[in-house]
Amino acid sequence: MTREQPTSAPMKHLPLAHMVLLLGLAILLALPLLSGGNDYILQVFTHALLLAILALAWNILAISGSISLGHAAFFGVGAYTSGLLSLESGVSPWATIPLAGFAAAVIALGVWLFCRRLRGAYFALATLAFVEIPRVLTDNWDSLTRGSLGLVGLPGLPGLRLGPLYFDIGASSIGSYYFVLVFGLLLLATVTLILRSNLGLALQAIREEETAAASLGIRVQGYRLLALLLSALFSGITGACYAHLVHYIEPGMVYGLHFSAIPVIFAICGGRFTIVGPALAALVLYPLDQFVFHPLLPAGHEFLYGAVIVLAILFLPSGFWGQLRKGQFVSIKTGSIE
Amino acid sequence: MSLLRLEALSKRFGEHWALKEIDFDLEEGEIVGLVGPNGAGKTTLFNLITGRHKPSSGRVWFEGKDITFYRPHEIQRYGISRTFQSSRPFARMRVLENVVVGRIFSGKFHLFPHTEDTNMARQLLELVGLAHKEDALAGELTLSERRRLDLARALATEPKLLLLDEVVAGFSPLAVKQAAELVQRARERGVTLFIVDHFMSLSLTVSDRLLALDHGEKIAEGKPQEVMRNRKVIRAYLGTRHDDEAQSAER
Repeated sequence: MTREQPTSAPMKHLPLAHMVLLLGLAILLALPLLSGGNDYILQVFTHALLLAILALAWNILAISGSISLGHAAFFGVGAYTSGLLSLESGVSPWATIPLAGFAAAVIALGVWLFCRRLRGAYFALATLAFVEIPRVLTDNWDSLTRGSLGLVGLPGLPGLRLGPLYFDIGASSIGSYYFVLVFGLLLLATVTLILRSNLGLALQAIREEETAAASLGIRVQGYRLLALLLSALFSGITGACYAHLVHYIEPGMVYGLHFSAIPVIFAICGGRFTIVGPALAALVLYPLDQFVFHPLLPAGHEFLYGAVIVLAILFLPSGFWGQLRKGQFVSIKTGSIE
Repeated sequence: MSLLRLEALSKRFGEHWALKEIDFDLEEGEIVGLVGPNGAGKTTLFNLITGRHKPSSGRVWFEGKDITFYRPHEIQRYGISRTFQSSRPFARMRVLENVVVGRIFSGKFHLFPHTEDTNMARQLLELVGLAHKEDALAGELTLSERRRLDLARALATEPKLLLLDEVVAGFSPLAVKQAAELVQRARERGVTLFIVDHFMSLSLTVSDRLLALDHGEKIAEGKPQEVMRNRKVIRAYLGTRHDDEAQSAER
Protein backbone atom coordinates (compact mmCIF):
# COMPACT_ATOMS: atom_id res chain seq x y z
CA MET A 1 0.00 0.00 0.00
CA THR A 2 2.55 2.55 1.04
CA ARG A 3 5.06 3.48 -1.54
CA GLU A 4 8.24 3.18 0.49
CA GLN A 5 10.34 4.04 -2.52
CA PRO A 6 14.00 4.77 -1.97
CA THR A 7 14.33 8.52 -2.06
CA SER A 8 16.88 9.02 -4.75
CA ALA A 9 18.18 12.55 -4.56
CA PRO A 10 18.66 12.93 -0.79
CA MET A 11 20.17 9.47 -0.42
CA LYS A 12 23.15 10.43 -2.56
CA HIS A 13 24.34 12.85 0.10
CA LEU A 14 23.96 10.52 3.04
CA PRO A 15 27.08 8.38 2.70
CA LEU A 16 29.46 11.35 2.61
CA ALA A 17 27.82 12.96 5.62
CA HIS A 18 27.80 9.70 7.52
CA MET A 19 31.43 9.08 6.66
CA VAL A 20 32.36 12.50 8.02
CA LEU A 21 30.43 11.75 11.21
CA LEU A 22 32.00 8.33 11.70
CA LEU A 23 35.48 9.64 10.99
CA GLY A 24 34.93 12.48 13.45
CA LEU A 25 33.72 10.08 16.11
CA ALA A 26 36.69 7.78 15.55
CA ILE A 27 39.12 10.67 15.89
CA LEU A 28 37.42 11.83 19.09
CA LEU A 29 37.46 8.34 20.61
CA ALA A 30 41.11 7.75 19.74
CA LEU A 31 42.31 11.25 20.55
CA PRO A 32 44.17 10.33 23.78
CA LEU A 33 46.22 7.88 21.72
CA LEU A 34 46.64 10.21 18.75
CA SER A 35 47.79 13.05 20.96
CA GLY A 36 50.53 10.90 22.46
CA GLY A 37 49.49 11.78 25.98
CA ASN A 38 49.90 15.50 25.36
CA ASP A 39 47.85 17.16 28.10
CA TYR A 40 47.47 20.48 26.31
CA ILE A 41 45.88 18.88 23.24
CA LEU A 42 43.48 16.96 25.44
CA GLN A 43 42.55 20.05 27.42
CA VAL A 44 41.85 22.04 24.27
CA PHE A 45 39.59 19.29 22.95
CA THR A 46 37.87 18.93 26.32
CA HIS A 47 37.04 22.61 26.15
CA ALA A 48 35.99 22.29 22.51
CA LEU A 49 33.64 19.47 23.50
CA LEU A 50 32.13 21.63 26.25
CA LEU A 51 31.53 24.38 23.72
CA ALA A 52 30.05 21.83 21.32
CA ILE A 53 27.66 20.73 24.09
CA LEU A 54 26.73 24.34 24.79
CA ALA A 55 26.04 24.81 21.07
CA LEU A 56 23.85 21.68 21.05
CA ALA A 57 21.86 22.99 24.00
CA TRP A 58 21.58 26.45 22.47
CA ASN A 59 20.28 24.90 19.27
CA ILE A 60 17.25 23.37 21.02
CA LEU A 61 15.95 26.89 21.45
CA ALA A 62 17.10 28.03 18.02
CA ILE A 63 15.28 25.15 16.31
CA SER A 64 12.08 26.64 17.72
CA GLY A 65 12.96 29.98 16.13
CA SER A 66 14.21 31.96 19.12
CA ILE A 67 17.81 33.11 18.80
CA SER A 68 19.40 33.71 22.19
CA LEU A 69 22.37 36.04 22.59
CA GLY A 70 22.41 35.44 26.32
CA HIS A 71 23.11 31.82 27.02
CA ALA A 72 26.00 32.87 29.28
CA ALA A 73 23.26 33.62 31.83
CA PHE A 74 22.35 29.92 32.02
CA PHE A 75 25.96 28.77 31.72
CA GLY A 76 27.11 31.15 34.46
CA VAL A 77 24.25 30.42 36.85
CA GLY A 78 24.91 26.72 36.36
CA ALA A 79 28.61 27.16 37.07
CA TYR A 80 28.00 29.26 40.17
CA THR A 81 25.22 27.10 41.57
CA SER A 82 27.25 23.94 41.40
CA GLY A 83 30.47 25.68 42.45
CA LEU A 84 28.98 27.34 45.51
CA LEU A 85 26.99 24.32 46.65
CA SER A 86 29.96 22.00 46.43
CA LEU A 87 32.32 24.52 48.06
CA GLU A 88 30.06 25.58 50.92
CA SER A 89 28.38 22.31 51.75
CA GLY A 90 30.93 19.80 50.55
CA VAL A 91 28.27 17.93 48.60
CA SER A 92 29.60 15.84 45.72
CA PRO A 93 29.54 17.60 42.35
CA TRP A 94 27.49 14.67 41.03
CA ALA A 95 24.63 16.00 43.16
CA THR A 96 25.20 19.69 42.53
CA ILE A 97 25.53 19.47 38.74
CA PRO A 98 21.88 18.47 38.17
CA LEU A 99 20.82 21.14 40.66
CA ALA A 100 22.77 23.62 38.57
CA GLY A 101 20.69 22.61 35.58
CA PHE A 102 17.49 23.30 37.49
CA ALA A 103 18.82 26.65 38.72
CA ALA A 104 19.48 27.62 35.10
CA ALA A 105 15.93 26.56 34.20
CA VAL A 106 14.61 28.81 36.96
CA ILE A 107 16.58 31.70 35.46
CA ALA A 108 15.03 30.77 32.11
CA LEU A 109 11.61 31.24 33.69
CA GLY A 110 12.74 34.77 34.53
CA VAL A 111 13.77 35.34 30.93
CA TRP A 112 10.39 34.00 29.82
CA LEU A 113 8.54 36.35 32.14
CA PHE A 114 10.05 39.37 30.41
CA CYS A 115 10.60 38.11 26.88
CA ARG A 116 7.72 35.80 26.09
CA ARG A 117 6.00 38.28 23.83
CA LEU A 118 9.18 39.05 21.90
CA ARG A 119 10.25 37.42 18.67
CA GLY A 120 13.25 37.46 16.38
CA ALA A 121 15.74 40.28 16.87
CA TYR A 122 13.76 41.71 19.78
CA PHE A 123 13.98 38.45 21.68
CA ALA A 124 17.69 38.15 20.87
CA LEU A 125 18.49 41.66 22.12
CA ALA A 126 16.45 41.16 25.28
CA THR A 127 18.39 38.00 26.12
CA LEU A 128 21.64 39.85 25.47
CA ALA A 129 20.59 42.45 28.05
CA PHE A 130 19.23 39.86 30.47
CA VAL A 131 22.69 38.32 31.06
CA GLU A 132 23.59 41.47 32.96
CA ILE A 133 21.12 40.67 35.74
CA PRO A 134 22.74 37.46 37.04
CA ARG A 135 26.20 38.85 36.27
CA VAL A 136 25.73 42.04 38.31
CA LEU A 137 24.06 40.10 41.12
CA THR A 138 26.90 37.58 41.26
CA ASP A 139 29.49 40.30 41.03
CA ASN A 140 28.09 42.33 43.93
CA TRP A 141 26.42 39.91 46.30
CA ASP A 142 29.75 39.34 48.08
CA SER A 143 28.36 37.52 51.10
CA LEU A 144 26.80 34.81 48.95
CA THR A 145 28.93 34.60 45.84
CA ARG A 146 32.30 36.04 47.02
CA GLY A 147 31.80 38.73 44.40
CA SER A 148 34.37 39.49 41.77
CA LEU A 149 36.99 37.38 43.55
CA GLY A 150 35.36 34.39 41.99
CA LEU A 151 35.40 30.86 43.32
CA VAL A 152 38.84 29.33 43.75
CA GLY A 153 39.73 25.73 44.42
CA LEU A 154 36.53 24.15 43.23
CA PRO A 155 36.44 20.39 43.76
CA GLY A 156 37.12 18.36 40.63
CA LEU A 157 34.82 15.65 39.38
CA PRO A 158 35.15 12.60 41.63
CA GLY A 159 35.84 9.21 40.13
CA LEU A 160 32.91 6.97 39.30
CA ARG A 161 32.71 3.32 40.32
CA LEU A 162 30.47 1.14 38.19
CA GLY A 163 30.75 -2.41 39.48
CA PRO A 164 34.30 -3.57 38.92
CA LEU A 165 35.09 -0.58 36.71
CA TYR A 166 36.53 2.57 38.14
CA PHE A 167 36.53 5.75 36.06
CA ASP A 168 39.07 8.25 37.26
CA ILE A 169 37.45 11.42 35.92
CA GLY A 170 38.82 14.44 37.68
CA ALA A 171 42.36 13.32 38.31
CA SER A 172 43.66 13.08 34.74
CA SER A 173 43.17 14.91 31.48
CA ILE A 174 42.22 11.65 29.80
CA GLY A 175 39.52 10.96 32.39
CA SER A 176 38.06 14.46 32.05
CA TYR A 177 38.20 14.24 28.29
CA TYR A 178 36.27 10.97 28.11
CA PHE A 179 33.75 12.18 30.65
CA VAL A 180 32.93 15.25 28.56
CA LEU A 181 32.88 13.16 25.38
CA VAL A 182 30.38 10.70 26.87
CA PHE A 183 28.26 13.56 28.19
CA GLY A 184 28.32 15.12 24.73
CA LEU A 185 27.27 11.91 23.00
CA LEU A 186 24.45 11.38 25.50
CA LEU A 187 23.21 14.93 24.97
CA LEU A 188 23.45 14.47 21.20
CA ALA A 189 21.28 11.37 21.47
CA THR A 190 18.80 13.21 23.70
CA VAL A 191 18.57 16.25 21.44
CA THR A 192 18.21 14.00 18.39
CA LEU A 193 15.33 12.14 20.04
CA ILE A 194 13.64 15.39 21.05
CA LEU A 195 13.93 16.95 17.63
CA ARG A 196 12.87 13.86 15.71
CA SER A 197 9.79 13.44 17.89
CA ASN A 198 6.50 15.20 17.36
CA LEU A 199 7.78 17.80 19.80
CA GLY A 200 10.59 18.61 17.39
CA LEU A 201 8.15 18.87 14.49
CA ALA A 202 6.01 21.25 16.52
CA LEU A 203 9.04 23.40 17.41
CA GLN A 204 10.07 23.64 13.76
CA ALA A 205 6.52 24.47 12.71
CA ILE A 206 6.49 27.29 15.26
CA ARG A 207 9.78 28.57 13.86
CA GLU A 208 8.50 28.54 10.30
CA GLU A 209 4.98 29.90 10.77
CA GLU A 210 3.64 30.60 14.20
CA THR A 211 0.12 31.51 13.13
CA ALA A 212 -0.26 28.43 10.99
CA ALA A 213 1.16 26.27 13.78
CA ALA A 214 -1.45 27.59 16.21
CA SER A 215 -4.18 26.98 13.64
CA LEU A 216 -3.11 23.31 13.62
CA GLY A 217 -3.61 23.04 17.36
CA ILE A 218 -0.03 23.65 18.50
CA ARG A 219 0.15 25.48 21.81
CA VAL A 220 2.76 27.95 20.59
CA GLN A 221 3.73 29.67 23.83
CA GLY A 222 3.85 26.42 25.78
CA TYR A 223 6.26 24.88 23.32
CA ARG A 224 8.43 27.97 23.10
CA LEU A 225 8.74 27.89 26.88
CA LEU A 226 9.53 24.17 26.88
CA ALA A 227 12.32 24.68 24.34
CA LEU A 228 13.75 27.52 26.44
CA LEU A 229 13.65 25.45 29.64
CA LEU A 230 15.30 22.41 28.06
CA SER A 231 17.95 24.58 26.46
CA ALA A 232 18.67 26.37 29.74
CA LEU A 233 18.73 23.11 31.72
CA PHE A 234 21.42 21.59 29.52
CA SER A 235 23.37 24.87 29.34
CA GLY A 236 23.37 25.07 33.15
CA ILE A 237 24.66 21.51 33.43
CA THR A 238 27.38 22.38 30.92
CA GLY A 239 28.37 25.43 32.97
CA ALA A 240 28.57 23.29 36.10
CA CYS A 241 30.82 20.73 34.38
CA TYR A 242 33.01 23.56 33.19
CA ALA A 243 33.34 24.90 36.75
CA HIS A 244 34.48 21.54 38.12
CA LEU A 245 36.84 20.92 35.23
CA VAL A 246 38.72 24.22 35.47
CA HIS A 247 38.41 24.54 39.29
CA TYR A 248 38.12 28.32 39.12
CA ILE A 249 35.35 30.66 37.98
CA GLU A 250 34.67 34.38 38.19
CA PRO A 251 31.66 36.45 37.08
CA GLY A 252 33.37 38.17 34.14
CA MET A 253 34.40 34.82 32.78
CA VAL A 254 31.31 32.59 33.01
CA TYR A 255 28.85 35.41 32.27
CA GLY A 256 31.12 36.81 29.57
CA LEU A 257 30.19 37.53 25.99
CA HIS A 258 32.32 34.53 25.01
CA PHE A 259 29.78 31.96 26.18
CA SER A 260 26.85 33.94 24.76
CA ALA A 261 28.35 34.55 21.35
CA ILE A 262 30.13 31.29 20.71
CA PRO A 263 27.03 29.09 20.22
CA VAL A 264 25.72 31.62 17.69
CA ILE A 265 29.03 31.62 15.81
CA PHE A 266 29.13 27.83 15.72
CA ALA A 267 25.52 27.60 14.64
CA ILE A 268 26.04 30.04 11.77
CA CYS A 269 29.13 28.18 10.58
CA GLY A 270 27.85 24.67 11.15
CA GLY A 271 24.24 25.12 10.12
CA ARG A 272 21.42 26.44 12.26
CA PHE A 273 18.80 24.04 11.03
CA THR A 274 20.80 20.91 11.64
CA ILE A 275 21.41 19.01 14.87
CA VAL A 276 25.12 18.24 14.73
CA GLY A 277 26.24 21.20 12.61
CA PRO A 278 26.83 23.63 15.50
CA ALA A 279 28.62 20.97 17.56
CA LEU A 280 30.86 19.99 14.64
CA ALA A 281 31.75 23.64 14.09
CA ALA A 282 32.82 23.88 17.74
CA LEU A 283 35.08 20.84 17.38
CA VAL A 284 36.74 22.25 14.27
CA LEU A 285 36.91 25.98 14.99
CA TYR A 286 37.98 26.04 18.63
CA PRO A 287 41.02 23.76 18.15
CA LEU A 288 41.86 25.68 14.97
CA ASP A 289 41.78 28.87 17.01
CA GLN A 290 43.91 27.46 19.84
CA PHE A 291 46.48 25.51 17.84
CA VAL A 292 46.93 27.70 14.78
CA PHE A 293 45.74 31.23 15.29
CA HIS A 294 46.63 31.69 18.95
CA PRO A 295 50.37 31.06 18.41
CA LEU A 296 50.35 33.23 15.26
CA LEU A 297 48.38 36.15 16.66
CA PRO A 298 48.36 35.99 20.44
CA ALA A 299 46.53 39.31 20.78
CA GLY A 300 43.94 38.96 18.06
CA HIS A 301 43.45 35.28 17.48
CA GLU A 302 39.70 35.52 17.94
CA PHE A 303 39.46 37.39 14.65
CA LEU A 304 39.02 33.85 13.31
CA TYR A 305 35.46 33.77 14.62
CA GLY A 306 34.56 37.06 12.97
CA ALA A 307 36.15 35.94 9.73
CA VAL A 308 34.35 32.59 9.58
CA ILE A 309 30.99 34.29 10.24
CA VAL A 310 31.56 36.62 7.30
CA LEU A 311 32.69 33.75 5.09
CA ALA A 312 29.80 31.53 6.12
CA ILE A 313 27.20 34.23 5.52
CA LEU A 314 28.67 35.10 2.13
CA PHE A 315 29.35 31.64 0.78
CA LEU A 316 27.58 29.03 2.93
CA PRO A 317 24.40 30.60 4.25
CA SER A 318 23.10 27.27 5.48
CA GLY A 319 26.37 26.48 7.23
CA PHE A 320 28.93 23.90 6.11
CA TRP A 321 26.98 21.01 7.55
CA GLY A 322 23.72 22.35 6.15
CA GLN A 323 25.43 22.65 2.78
CA LEU A 324 26.76 19.12 2.94
CA ARG A 325 23.30 17.88 3.85
CA LYS A 326 21.82 19.85 0.94
CA GLY A 327 18.62 20.71 2.68
CA GLN A 328 18.51 17.51 4.72
CA PHE A 329 17.29 19.28 7.80
CA VAL A 330 15.95 17.51 10.81
CA SER A 331 13.81 15.04 8.99
CA ILE A 332 11.39 12.35 10.02
CA LYS A 333 11.40 10.99 6.51
CA THR A 334 14.98 10.06 5.93
CA GLY A 335 15.62 9.01 9.48
CA SER A 336 18.81 11.02 9.46
CA ILE A 337 20.13 12.18 12.80
CA GLU A 338 21.66 15.30 11.34
CA MET B 1 -28.57 23.06 16.89
CA SER B 2 -26.41 24.65 14.27
CA LEU B 3 -22.75 23.76 14.06
CA LEU B 4 -21.54 27.34 14.18
CA ARG B 5 -23.56 30.28 15.42
CA LEU B 6 -22.44 33.87 15.21
CA GLU B 7 -24.36 36.15 17.51
CA ALA B 8 -24.23 39.93 17.00
CA LEU B 9 -20.53 39.62 16.30
CA SER B 10 -18.70 42.97 16.05
CA LYS B 11 -15.09 43.99 15.72
CA ARG B 12 -13.77 47.52 15.95
CA PHE B 13 -10.24 48.55 15.02
CA GLY B 14 -9.81 52.02 16.55
CA GLU B 15 -12.67 54.10 15.13
CA HIS B 16 -13.30 51.73 12.28
CA TRP B 17 -15.95 49.02 12.53
CA ALA B 18 -14.56 46.06 10.60
CA LEU B 19 -17.65 44.01 11.44
CA LYS B 20 -20.99 45.17 12.77
CA GLU B 21 -23.55 42.94 14.49
CA ILE B 22 -23.19 39.86 12.34
CA ASP B 23 -25.73 37.11 13.01
CA PHE B 24 -25.33 33.88 11.11
CA ASP B 25 -25.93 30.16 11.52
CA LEU B 26 -24.01 27.42 9.78
CA GLU B 27 -25.51 23.93 9.67
CA GLU B 28 -23.54 20.72 9.72
CA GLY B 29 -22.63 19.42 6.26
CA GLU B 30 -23.22 22.73 4.52
CA ILE B 31 -20.91 24.57 2.19
CA VAL B 32 -21.34 28.28 2.68
CA GLY B 33 -19.60 30.96 0.67
CA LEU B 34 -18.62 34.21 2.32
CA VAL B 35 -18.52 36.92 -0.32
CA GLY B 36 -18.05 40.65 -0.49
CA PRO B 37 -15.73 43.28 -1.96
CA ASN B 38 -12.31 44.17 -0.55
CA GLY B 39 -12.49 45.36 3.03
CA ALA B 40 -15.92 43.86 3.60
CA GLY B 41 -14.66 42.05 6.70
CA LYS B 42 -14.46 38.49 5.39
CA THR B 43 -11.02 37.65 6.74
CA THR B 44 -11.76 39.52 9.97
CA LEU B 45 -14.77 37.27 10.46
CA PHE B 46 -12.53 34.22 10.03
CA ASN B 47 -10.03 35.67 12.48
CA LEU B 48 -12.79 36.12 15.06
CA ILE B 49 -14.04 32.56 14.63
CA THR B 50 -10.56 31.05 14.92
CA GLY B 51 -9.57 33.17 17.90
CA ARG B 52 -6.85 35.15 16.19
CA HIS B 53 -8.71 38.33 17.07
CA LYS B 54 -11.06 38.87 19.96
CA PRO B 55 -14.43 40.41 19.08
CA SER B 56 -15.38 43.82 20.45
CA SER B 57 -18.80 42.39 21.25
CA GLY B 58 -20.95 39.40 20.36
CA ARG B 59 -20.47 35.68 20.71
CA VAL B 60 -19.23 32.67 18.71
CA TRP B 61 -20.90 29.34 19.46
CA PHE B 62 -19.58 26.04 18.17
CA GLU B 63 -21.63 22.89 18.76
CA GLY B 64 -23.50 24.78 21.46
CA LYS B 65 -20.31 25.84 23.25
CA ASP B 66 -19.29 29.44 23.69
CA ILE B 67 -15.79 29.58 22.16
CA THR B 68 -15.61 33.37 21.80
CA PHE B 69 -12.55 33.94 23.96
CA TYR B 70 -10.71 30.68 23.42
CA ARG B 71 -7.20 30.80 22.03
CA PRO B 72 -6.45 29.65 18.46
CA HIS B 73 -4.95 26.26 19.36
CA GLU B 74 -7.87 25.52 21.72
CA ILE B 75 -10.42 26.40 19.06
CA GLN B 76 -8.60 24.15 16.61
CA ARG B 77 -8.82 21.28 19.07
CA TYR B 78 -12.60 21.71 19.21
CA GLY B 79 -12.60 21.03 15.47
CA ILE B 80 -12.20 24.26 13.52
CA SER B 81 -9.31 24.49 11.07
CA ARG B 82 -8.48 27.10 8.51
CA THR B 83 -6.29 28.03 5.59
CA PHE B 84 -4.82 31.46 5.07
CA GLN B 85 -5.34 34.07 2.40
CA SER B 86 -1.59 34.33 1.89
CA SER B 87 -0.72 30.68 2.24
CA ARG B 88 1.56 29.98 5.17
CA PRO B 89 3.58 26.82 4.58
CA PHE B 90 6.33 25.67 6.96
CA ALA B 91 8.83 26.66 4.30
CA ARG B 92 11.96 24.86 5.49
CA MET B 93 10.14 21.63 6.21
CA ARG B 94 9.26 18.96 3.73
CA VAL B 95 5.84 18.82 2.15
CA LEU B 96 5.05 15.53 3.89
CA GLU B 97 6.20 16.92 7.24
CA ASN B 98 3.97 19.94 6.79
CA VAL B 99 0.98 17.64 6.65
CA VAL B 100 2.21 15.39 9.47
CA VAL B 101 2.34 18.47 11.72
CA GLY B 102 -1.41 18.67 11.25
CA ARG B 103 -1.69 15.16 12.71
CA ILE B 104 0.27 15.82 15.92
CA PHE B 105 -2.61 17.17 17.96
CA SER B 106 -5.57 15.59 16.28
CA GLY B 107 -6.52 12.85 18.64
CA LYS B 108 -4.22 11.52 21.31
CA PHE B 109 -0.76 13.01 21.49
CA HIS B 110 2.04 10.61 20.61
CA LEU B 111 5.67 11.43 21.21
CA PHE B 112 6.73 10.07 17.83
CA PRO B 113 4.90 10.27 14.50
CA HIS B 114 3.00 7.04 13.88
CA THR B 115 3.00 5.25 10.57
CA GLU B 116 -0.77 5.81 10.38
CA ASP B 117 -0.15 9.54 10.61
CA THR B 118 2.40 9.46 7.80
CA ASN B 119 0.11 7.27 5.72
CA MET B 120 -2.85 9.56 6.22
CA ALA B 121 -0.65 12.53 5.31
CA ARG B 122 0.33 10.73 2.10
CA GLN B 123 -3.31 10.05 1.28
CA LEU B 124 -4.14 13.70 1.73
CA LEU B 125 -1.25 14.71 -0.51
CA GLU B 126 -2.67 12.29 -3.05
CA LEU B 127 -6.07 13.93 -2.66
CA VAL B 128 -4.74 17.42 -3.37
CA GLY B 129 -2.41 16.17 -6.11
CA LEU B 130 0.89 16.77 -4.34
CA ALA B 131 1.95 13.16 -3.77
CA HIS B 132 4.89 13.52 -6.14
CA LYS B 133 6.22 16.48 -4.14
CA GLU B 134 6.29 14.96 -0.68
CA ASP B 135 10.06 15.31 -0.38
CA ALA B 136 10.24 18.87 -1.67
CA LEU B 137 10.67 21.74 0.74
CA ALA B 138 7.37 23.53 1.15
CA GLY B 139 9.05 26.86 0.40
CA GLU B 140 9.84 25.67 -3.12
CA LEU B 141 6.22 25.09 -4.11
CA THR B 142 4.28 27.30 -6.50
CA LEU B 143 1.38 29.40 -5.28
CA SER B 144 -1.27 26.92 -6.30
CA GLU B 145 0.71 24.03 -4.80
CA ARG B 146 1.07 25.96 -1.54
CA ARG B 147 -2.66 26.52 -1.33
CA ARG B 148 -3.27 22.83 -1.90
CA LEU B 149 -0.68 22.02 0.77
CA ASP B 150 -2.50 24.40 3.13
CA LEU B 151 -5.68 22.48 2.42
CA ALA B 152 -4.10 19.07 2.99
CA ARG B 153 -2.54 20.30 6.23
CA ALA B 154 -5.85 21.63 7.48
CA LEU B 155 -7.66 18.42 6.51
CA ALA B 156 -5.02 16.41 8.38
CA THR B 157 -6.42 17.76 11.63
CA GLU B 158 -9.75 16.11 10.77
CA PRO B 159 -11.76 19.26 11.37
CA LYS B 160 -15.52 19.41 11.73
CA LEU B 161 -15.52 22.88 10.26
CA LEU B 162 -12.98 24.11 7.73
CA LEU B 163 -12.58 27.77 6.89
CA LEU B 164 -11.01 28.38 3.49
CA ASP B 165 -9.70 31.88 2.92
CA GLU B 166 -9.39 32.76 -0.77
CA VAL B 167 -8.16 29.34 -1.87
CA VAL B 168 -8.66 30.07 -5.54
CA ALA B 169 -7.61 33.73 -5.85
CA GLY B 170 -5.47 34.05 -8.94
CA PHE B 171 -6.33 30.56 -10.17
CA SER B 172 -7.10 29.71 -13.79
CA PRO B 173 -10.65 28.55 -14.56
CA LEU B 174 -9.38 24.99 -14.82
CA ALA B 175 -7.67 25.22 -11.43
CA VAL B 176 -10.86 26.64 -9.94
CA LYS B 177 -12.74 23.64 -11.28
CA GLN B 178 -10.24 21.28 -9.69
CA ALA B 179 -10.51 23.18 -6.42
CA ALA B 180 -14.29 22.83 -6.55
CA GLU B 181 -13.89 19.06 -6.83
CA LEU B 182 -11.53 19.13 -3.85
CA VAL B 183 -14.07 21.03 -1.79
CA GLN B 184 -16.74 18.51 -2.69
CA ARG B 185 -14.48 15.68 -1.68
CA ALA B 186 -13.75 17.42 1.60
CA ARG B 187 -17.49 17.57 2.24
CA GLU B 188 -17.74 13.87 1.49
CA ARG B 189 -15.26 13.35 4.31
CA GLY B 190 -17.81 14.93 6.63
CA VAL B 191 -16.36 18.42 6.77
CA THR B 192 -18.54 21.50 6.88
CA LEU B 193 -17.03 24.31 4.83
CA PHE B 194 -17.06 28.07 5.08
CA ILE B 195 -15.36 29.63 2.07
CA VAL B 196 -14.17 33.18 1.61
CA ASP B 197 -14.27 33.91 -2.07
CA HIS B 198 -14.02 37.46 -3.28
CA PHE B 199 -14.73 36.72 -6.93
CA MET B 200 -17.35 34.04 -6.21
CA SER B 201 -15.71 31.84 -8.82
CA LEU B 202 -15.62 28.91 -6.43
CA SER B 203 -18.51 29.62 -4.09
CA LEU B 204 -21.08 30.05 -6.86
CA THR B 205 -20.57 26.50 -8.08
CA VAL B 206 -20.13 24.63 -4.81
CA SER B 207 -22.00 26.59 -2.14
CA ASP B 208 -25.39 25.71 -0.73
CA ARG B 209 -25.72 29.22 0.59
CA LEU B 210 -23.92 32.54 0.42
CA LEU B 211 -23.36 35.16 3.07
CA ALA B 212 -22.58 38.58 1.63
CA LEU B 213 -20.82 41.32 3.58
CA ASP B 214 -20.08 44.92 2.74
CA HIS B 215 -18.33 47.43 4.97
CA GLY B 216 -18.63 45.04 7.88
CA GLU B 217 -22.36 44.55 7.58
CA LYS B 218 -24.40 41.62 6.43
CA ILE B 219 -26.14 42.70 3.22
CA ALA B 220 -27.57 39.38 2.08
CA GLU B 221 -27.77 35.68 2.75
CA GLY B 222 -29.45 32.82 0.99
CA LYS B 223 -29.27 30.68 -2.15
CA PRO B 224 -26.33 31.66 -4.38
CA GLN B 225 -28.52 32.76 -7.31
CA GLU B 226 -30.72 34.89 -5.05
CA VAL B 227 -27.77 36.56 -3.42
CA MET B 228 -26.24 37.21 -6.82
CA ARG B 229 -29.38 39.05 -7.91
CA ASN B 230 -29.60 41.00 -4.69
CA ARG B 231 -29.45 44.71 -5.43
CA LYS B 232 -27.24 45.50 -2.47
CA VAL B 233 -24.75 42.83 -3.49
CA ILE B 234 -24.60 44.11 -7.06
CA ARG B 235 -24.14 47.61 -5.77
CA ALA B 236 -21.39 46.55 -3.39
CA TYR B 237 -19.45 44.88 -6.18
CA LEU B 238 -20.17 47.16 -9.12
CA GLY B 239 -21.06 50.48 -7.54
CA THR B 240 -24.20 52.47 -8.33
CA ARG B 241 -25.42 53.76 -11.66
CA HIS B 242 -27.22 57.04 -12.08
CA ASP B 243 -30.60 55.45 -12.63
CA ASP B 244 -29.91 53.15 -9.69
CA GLU B 245 -29.40 56.15 -7.45
CA ALA B 246 -32.57 57.72 -8.77
CA GLN B 247 -34.45 54.52 -7.94
CA SER B 248 -33.08 54.33 -4.44
CA ALA B 249 -33.92 57.99 -3.93
CA GLU B 250 -37.51 57.23 -4.87
CA ARG B 251 -37.73 54.47 -2.26
